[in-house]
Amino acid sequence: MKENGQILVFVTTLVLFLFVLGLVRRRKIGERFAVLWLGISFVLLLLSSVGYPYLFRVAQFVGVPYPPSALFFLAISGLTLLIINLFAWVSKLNDRTRILTQQIALLSDRLSHSDKSTNLPKANPERAASQISFPDPTP
Amino acid sequence: MIVPSFNESANLPSLIAELRRVCPDYHVVVIDDGSTDRTSQVASALPVRLISLPCNLGIGGAVQTGIQYAEQHGYEIALQVDGDGQHPPSEIPKLLRVLKEAECDLVIGSRFQERDGHQSTLSRRMGIRLLSWIISVLCHTTVTDATSGFRALGRRAICLLANEYAEDYPEVEAILMANRAGLRIAEVSVRMADRQGGRSSIGMLQSISYMIKVPLAIFMSLLRSRPSLT
Repeated sequence: MKENGQILVFVTTLVLFLFVLGLVRRRKIGERFAVLWLGISFVLLLLSSVGYPYLFRVAQFVGVPYPPSALFFLAISGLTLLIINLFAWVSKLNDRTRILTQQIALLSDRLSHSDKSTNLPKANPERAASQISFPDPTP
Repeated sequence: MIVPSFNESANLPSLIAELRRVCPDYHVVVIDDGSTDRTSQVASALPVRLISLPCNLGIGGAVQTGIQYAEQHGYEIALQVDGDGQHPPSEIPKLLRVLKEAECDLVIGSRFQERDGHQSTLSRRMGIRLLSWIISVLCHTTVTDATSGFRALGRRAICLLANEYAEDYPEVEAILMANRAGLRIAEVSVRMADRQGGRSSIGMLQSISYMIKVPLAIFMSLLRSRPSLT
């Protein structure tokens, strides 16, 4: 019974590990997250194979009567950290999009007004172009 | 003059006309915060500079865009007037007078100092009073209407807030930031009107969550390092 459970855990973590590898291969996941997830699945892989007896001993040492719950504890702590990390990441992205939105709005305002107020000399188009420091959006 | 507007096409024309009449020397910048109605079409037909945000940022992001505009174009004074018509332009000279005469960096228009004009609902008044009390204690000044978005900013306040501005509950936090950066804050009594058209962006449930979140946001703002004028 216990062996069966261990095999199930091992197979599951193996699938997770391979899944992450596949994501990395197809460039569906950035390095920053890939390293993290490879690390997590690797540790889980170790714990469910060669590390399993150690997990048992550590659980006994800490006084957890049911070893898999030690694994649960570890997993939940890890996931909590991960989620907080993701929240921080999302906040950072949110900040960046806010700044970008503001910059786009201010730049497009400037652009449209530099178009309207054509007090640039028409005889010298090169100079006129150099005064507008924005790249021409039309291809 | 910064007018943040989110779906305010009904209110804008009369507000802008009034602003132009009261303060003809001031440039009006309308920030269209990704409105889904005809706000941008309406505003582009008015004698204002229209800045359209490509997506909705909320009041904080919109006002900050206006402040950044003032900073980039070297304006000495920025006025913040809500697009919903709650802030009568006829009260603007009061704000400006205090800003200039008292040599302040941030002047807040308060509807509660003299209890004149529109006073909002009881629950909201209580909330605003609590927030104002927190801000007054933290800043060692008397602020009676901390959530008022009717304010005048001097150059130093413009430079500070262009760089750093709260996103979700900006009015209250901006006072705190200005205070922590060593700017001078004053308050002046103004009369406010009830909104003329459109809908308020704050409902009942939101006011309750507002009352929980803003003190938390203030607390978090205190945890951060002191903002500085650079």
